[in-house]
Amino acid sequence: MELNFSKEDLQFRDEVRSWLENDYPKHVKAKQDNAEPLTRQDMVDYHKAVSAKGWMGYNWPVEYGGTGWSATQLYIFNKEFGLAGTPPLLAFGVSMVAPVIYTFGNEEQKAKYLPDILEFNTWWCQGYSEPGSGSDLASLKTKAVKTFDGKHYIINGAKTWTTLAQNADWIFCLTRTETTSIKQEGISFILIDMKTPGIEVKPIITIDGEHEVNSVFFTDVKVPVENLIGEEGKGWTYAKFLLAHERFGIASVGGSLRALNKLKEIASDLENTDLDKKITELEIDLNALEITELRMLSDLENGGQVGAESSILKIKGTEIQQRLTELMVESSGEHALLYPGPHGFGSNDKPSGPDYSADAVSKFLNMRKTSIYGGSNEIQKNIISKFVLGV
Amino acid sequence: MNLNFSEEQVMLKETIQKFCDNDYDFYKREEVIKSENDFDLNTWNLFAEQGWLSMPFSEDSGGFGMGPIELSILFEEFGKALVIEPYLSTVVLSGTLIDNSNYEHKKDIIERICSGSLHVSLAYAEAKNSYNYNLPSTSLSSDLLLNGTKSLVLNGGNANKLVVSCIHNDELALVIVNADKDGISMNTFPTVDGQSCAEITFENVTINSEDVIGTGDNALTLLNNAISLATLCVSAEAVGCMSSCYLKTVAYTKEREQFGQPISNFQVLQHRMVDMFIESELCRSLLIKAMLEVDSGSDDMHKHVSGLKAQIGKSGKFSAQQAVQLHGGMGVSDELMIGHYLKKLIVIDALFGNTDHHLKKYAQ
Repeated sequence: MELNFSKEDLQFRDEVRSWLENDYPKHVKAKQDNAEPLTRQDMVDYHKAVSAKGWMGYNWPVEYGGTGWSATQLYIFNKEFGLAGTPPLLAFGVSMVAPVIYTFGNEEQKAKYLPDILEFNTWWCQGYSEPGSGSDLASLKTKAVKTFDGKHYIINGAKTWTTLAQNADWIFCLTRTETTSIKQEGISFILIDMKTPGIEVKPIITIDGEHEVNSVFFTDVKVPVENLIGEEGKGWTYAKFLLAHERFGIASVGGSLRALNKLKEIASDLENTDLDKKITELEIDLNALEITELRMLSDLENGGQVGAESSILKIKGTEIQQRLTELMVESSGEHALLYPGPHGFGSNDKPSGPDYSADAVSKFLNMRKTSIYGGSNEIQKNIISKFVLGV
Repeated sequence: MNLNFSEEQVMLKETIQKFCDNDYDFYKREEVIKSENDFDLNTWNLFAEQGWLSMPFSEDSGGFGMGPIELSILFEEFGKALVIEPYLSTVVLSGTLIDNSNYEHKKDIIERICSGSLHVSLAYAEAKNSYNYNLPSTSLSSDLLLNGTKSLVLNGGNANKLVVSCIHNDELALVIVNADKDGISMNTFPTVDGQSCAEITFENVTINSEDVIGTGDNALTLLNNAISLATLCVSAEAVGCMSSCYLKTVAYTKEREQFGQPISNFQVLQHRMVDMFIESELCRSLLIKAMLEVDSGSDDMHKHVSGLKAQIGKSGKFSAQQAVQLHGGMGVSDELMIGHYLKKLIVIDALFGNTDHHLKKYAQ
């Protein structure tokens, strides 16, 4: 048994670190350091820089322009980015729709979509959840009906909680092409250009004051049949395949380690033994999470499979992320009651008091979503009890 | 033993409940928060007409002589409706402090508070991240010049007068000063729960000797009693928030269908809601104990307020977080009240000492 990384892996880690230190876009870094919000263009610049380095296809096979990295390299890459405090790479294109396209799409589709995803010329969003279909995703109702000439689908319905749809060029949607007795059947995976007439994006403001998610309404949206991926009625199979690709990185070990270090730094000035104890407990939790992820990684690297137990990563990873923000609020004491709003206090009239308190509550509120999205933590526990415990 | 409210108290509760249910609209409240105003002036005037602004003041000062029990009733209902009007700062923190002092103009001030025409804020906190309010760095010199900066002054931007804690002749003192006096400058900031607070700087502000309303032990007692009463009030507010959290969550899960059935059918959610209910009831019990102790002015009253507040911080966050979780995506949407209960309960935990702080105080 050997818990340490190989020499090659350590070299790779240094390469990632060096890029983050020297080649990460400076104007984006400057804004992050001042806790300023990033614009769409900042996010594009960041992704294009990753792309220029050749790392955008971090989980793709080499034949499509991907890195072909091992699971360990992918893990190191994710962790280092998290530790550096970069925004998470947008998963919707590169890590969600792309694997579905290169696995189930035809040659025309691969040629049309993959290069733009790799170069971040297109911003994708995900059309899964609907107002009536959250945890029970397969009950979705958005309809895609083929025209008489068989050349188009006409799409009607509504998607919700669509992250950054306001920035997106394309959306991949689960739609119902057939009403069947088994709800998982009759679902099709369709790509839709956001500029198509009949699409309306309405912001949903969340309790932290942010506009991150949206409702997307489809009224008689006409989409060429060429935008169907794979077979009609097989969308659920592709969606499940895609979820398996989402698992890694969901533990957010790197980002949590960074937040933990910041918290420890703050606590060292506060002389609050109660807080110190809570931080220590959390550090041990995070250690346990990291080793658990490494165990799954080791299984993968040694020819094994990782099954439903990977839901542990989602549950504990999000609990730890939330707990970190809770302790940041506690560290802020009474100053936590100040609300900077989504765009900060501005540079002129910042309140005095600890600077870390400024966005403590906003982050705390924002992190509430993590135990709800991507299959709520209750659903993750159902998955473990059904597929791991067998009850 | 009888732990029920008196007939008058029940009537008061019903009147406030009726107002909150029928006339305090959540969406109108949201509009007020997004506007330039910090609260609705018509609502404040209505509070005055109802006599609610006069509740805790002595009859000598023109008040109704009600106490912590009636205030708890009021704040519990305010909590359910998420009322943003600055009752806590003007009436509870500043009003009762002035009413309990020997300030010679107090009758005039209390009358104007009761009529709704005067706002007073208590400047008790400073930039230093600490819940010890008895050692401010703001100072009043021997020739009565006030210097220093106060943080987190609730409703400070709307205050006509300020009560300021400071050090004078090496001991705590409380002074009252007009907010527009020369040498006073302020910045206002929104708070997480939709209210506002101010950071106020005093630069050689001259204070009249008659406006030093308390010094030494008297100032300590005035300040600590006002903050204790305010802590009791926000705890009652939290109990209101918590009961709304479980009631609204029960209603939502009965309505929301997934997997072909209301999600309230799932036992894991049922037990979670039972936990929310239990937490809320336990907090209510501690609230009753603490308000009776404060009402009787017992030696242990601060201790029991600390016990209550420690529990409120824990149970309040638990209840609101579960309410958000069980509402799913809707829970984090700004449009529903649920997320706003979470914000309120986070603010309440942060105000006047969080759970850890009050656990220590209780154990002392």
